[in-house]
Amino acid sequence: MGENAQMGEGLHEIDDESPEGLYAFLAEREWGDGLPVVAPTEERVGVMLAGLDPDEVLAVLPPRGGSATRRAVAVNAVMAGCPPEVFPVVATAVRALGEQRLNLRGVNATTHPVAPLVIVHGDAVEEMGFNAEVGAFGPGNRANATVGRAVRLVLLHVAGARPGPGDAATQGQPSKYAYCTAENRAADPWEPYHHSVGVDAPSAVTVHCGENPHNFHDMESDDIERILDKAASAMATFGVNNACISGGEWFIGLCPEHAATADAAGWTRDDVSAYLFEHARLPAREFRRQFDLLAWAPWMSDAADDELLPMTEEVGNIRVFVTGGAGKHSCVIPSWGMTRSVTLALEP
Amino acid sequence: MSTTIHDPAGPLAEGAVQLVPAAPALVGGSIGVLDNGKPNARLLLTRAAEGLAARIGGEVVRVTGKSGRSGGAANNAATACESQVLESLSKEVRIVLTGSAD
Repeated sequence: MGENAQMGEGLHEIDDESPEGLYAFLAEREWGDGLPVVAPTEERVGVMLAGLDPDEVLAVLPPRGGSATRRAVAVNAVMAGCPPEVFPVVATAVRALGEQRLNLRGVNATTHPVAPLVIVHGDAVEEMGFNAEVGAFGPGNRANATVGRAVRLVLLHVAGARPGPGDAATQGQPSKYAYCTAENRAADPWEPYHHSVGVDAPSAVTVHCGENPHNFHDMESDDIERILDKAASAMATFGVNNACISGGEWFIGLCPEHAATADAAGWTRDDVSAYLFEHARLPAREFRRQFDLLAWAPWMSDAADDELLPMTEEVGNIRVFVTGGAGKHSCVIPSWGMTRSVTLALEP
Repeated sequence: MSTTIHDPAGPLAEGAVQLVPAAPALVGGSIGVLDNGKPNARLLLTRAAEGLAARIGGEVVRVTGKSGRSGGAANNAATACESQVLESLSKEVRIVLTGSAD
């Protein structure tokens, strides 16, 4: 590759658009996620923008204080390989990242491996080609893979969340490459997740900053309590931040068959949350033995040593959605802790 | 043939904060400690502040958490410092030690 030239603000002229040449160009500037990218040419970015205002600021992202303009987000969506029709999901997820309650500064600054999980809800799942069925957390589907990757590239480039100076995660986790799934409406016995949190729109996007999914399986039961006891056991551990930060949420990704078992027993989504709140518990004494610093709600701090305490301070922090296909594997997704999930109506 | 591509980082937001240049010399003055909530940060930072004060002829005049209150989630390492704490520190001291890590 020969010399590349900066052509003024926001544009570069490169003389080698091959994967190798582009990779070298990015590496020189400490850009990219380590994988080959699609060149963000003016033509491709123009198609991604679809005639909307390129200078609209969707969010301001720390720690760099980067302005996530629609153009900057579109550039990263092109690089990630997004088909243009999924761009509204990327844009909505970026808006969510900018919400104060999500605490992106902390998400990027922490040594915890936290990654933002993007969950797509509603009509957009089918219309845009997201996979909410077998293998919903990936790989193998372009929409899931590239939306998750685009969000990460926005974090790397616009937010400046490069490992080290901008992302202090001690070990990181694989979901920092791409972390996107979709709600399986066809198999969901309850109202859409986004309706349950007050977002009355045909489609929506949730961002939850947490760990990789922790699997639990139950192949045998037609007893929802026996199934959820396994979820509770996966939650009741001192190895997650939810143990020492009581304000953290849990996302419970039920597979369709486990959700159907709950529904057949007459259980609602809230019943599932309530069961886990009551059964994912450990003695206060053990929490105190394990941690010197406990960011707990006052009522938990006042508990006697023998009292069994939940893995989060209120039942509403246990959030249930349905994803995946055939087979009896579900998951729990712990939180980083000092963050709140954000669900927004899908917007262009 | 050359190709024009867009910059993926985009512009900085208006008012984005950058680090100030390092002070050329530390001589005298009041020193504060802002405990960032990491385990033993207050102990470590206070000892470091006392050592610094002895070297430069300064004085440790304030040790505080991020909320100005003891305990609870408000002083957790993952939360931002309350603005009134920053404002009062900026008035009371010339140097602040903060931010021990894991």
